Amino acid sequence: MSATADFVAAQRVNRRNTFLLLVALTALAAATGYMVGWLVEGEASDTVPLFSTLGLAAAGLMAVVSVGWSALSLAFGDKLVLALASAKDITQAEVPQLYNVVEEISIASGVPMPRVMVLETDALNAFATGNKVGHGTIVVTRGLLNTLSRDELQGVAAHEMAHLANLDTRYMVVVGVTVGLIALVCDMLLRTIAWGGSGRSTNDKKGSSGGGLLIILLIVVAIFAPLAAKAVQMAVSRQREYLADATSVQFTRNPNGLISALGKLAEKAAPFPGVSRATQHLFIVNPVQTFTSKTPALLATHPDIEDRIARLRNLGS
Amino acid sequence: MSFWIIVGILVAIGLWLIAVYNGLVGSRNQSQTAWSQIDVQLKRRHDLIPNLVQVVKDAMGYEQETLTKIVQARNNAVAASGPAQAGPAEAALTQATRGLFALMENYPQLKANDNVKQLQEELTTTENKIAFARQFYNDSVNNYNTRRQSFPAVLAAASLGFGPIELFNMPEAEREVPKVALR
Repeated sequence: MSATADFVAAQRVNRRNTFLLLVALTALAAATGYMVGWLVEGEASDTVPLFSTLGLAAAGLMAVVSVGWSALSLAFGDKLVLALASAKDITQAEVPQLYNVVEEISIASGVPMPRVMVLETDALNAFATGNKVGHGTIVVTRGLLNTLSRDELQGVAAHEMAHLANLDTRYMVVVGVTVGLIALVCDMLLRTIAWGGSGRSTNDKKGSSGGGLLIILLIVVAIFAPLAAKAVQMAVSRQREYLADATSVQFTRNPNGLISALGKLAEKAAPFPGVSRATQHLFIVNPVQTFTSKTPALLATHPDIEDRIARLRNLGS
Repeated sequence: MSFWIIVGILVAIGLWLIAVYNGLVGSRNQSQTAWSQIDVQLKRRHDLIPNLVQVVKDAMGYEQETLTKIVQARNNAVAASGPAQAGPAEAALTQATRGLFALMENYPQLKANDNVKQLQEELTTTENKIAFARQFYNDSVNNYNTRRQSFPAVLAAASLGFGPIELFNMPEAEREVPKVALR
């Protein structure tokens, strides 16, 4: 009973975080827009008004852009990923074991049956995508199907189902948009400052020394904000992987399946062809890097497989 | 003035009772839906077993005892009505199928048979589905039973037709070591 409660709580937290992120994203975009407009207007009129009409207009524009961008990403996000990976739908008759295993987990999790697809490649991997409960898709590679036993396949299917149940895809799309927008806006800000700064030097006789400090502060923020945002995004992604592993065990009540599946995945790791870095967080193990080459921990989408296995063993005992 | 206060209190109590009643109806319906999901899987399982016995019968002629046992267990399970009866009967059936699967390991020609493989996969998935659906059913039933035993529902639940619902427990019977006959 507590297993269901935990999973429901995780889903609620995820929904709330997604909403808060959207609010913060819009506020950040609007604030940066205001700053840009304010700087431009200040330059043009040689005064630095506290209230800037151009700033307000830019803020409004940025808010509309950020909301629109998020909405578009959510609406087309999963179609984009699927087209990219070119997977094929399967029926129960074609791959009975995979279909049955997903159906079992659908019953265990209470999540409606997702689309099940197979990707014709020897690489061992699986991913899930879907922005709404009941509109999910789980994709498994042919290599994985041929390699894993039934229990291992069940563990992997439950991990992907956990991503769907926790609405991770939606969460990561919104996080990705946030990070992209922060980078874009900070870049804009730097350009505006560079352009405005050269103009300002001719007007220095006005003696606006307070403005100089503010500009330096803005430059520091504009340089470090995107880096910090990226690190946060990756940290969120790794936490989501741990959560999906734990939720998977709650569904199957059998940590050994996922443990030995992860072991096989680590052993036979091969880079996955045709996957962009933009979608790598959706996979069960990182499809871009091989596992022998250590990624800097701060910028990895997935935790170390050994780490994940160790945590699963703790759950099992 | 005091008249309206009393009316207000009565209306509040009325709304509270309506909420309690609707809560009972909702959780009872959820339990019934959960049971019907299990029932579908149980029926499927009862249909699959004769097919499996039919397919392996010729190859496993010497294992009459095991085959009789599984058919018997299946018939008991079909005859059982309601979750309380079905639980032990289904557990016994699980036991019998496990015994059969273990014995089938000794027959390479069966393991290579596509028909057998398909039936085995179907039975495995059906058993898993029963196990997973059982968790959801028992959670729903616990929720319903707690509601109907809580105040004030406990005063009127039985007379309004909200009887207790049985849990579906499958006692994991002592895992019998399948007898491997050396002939």
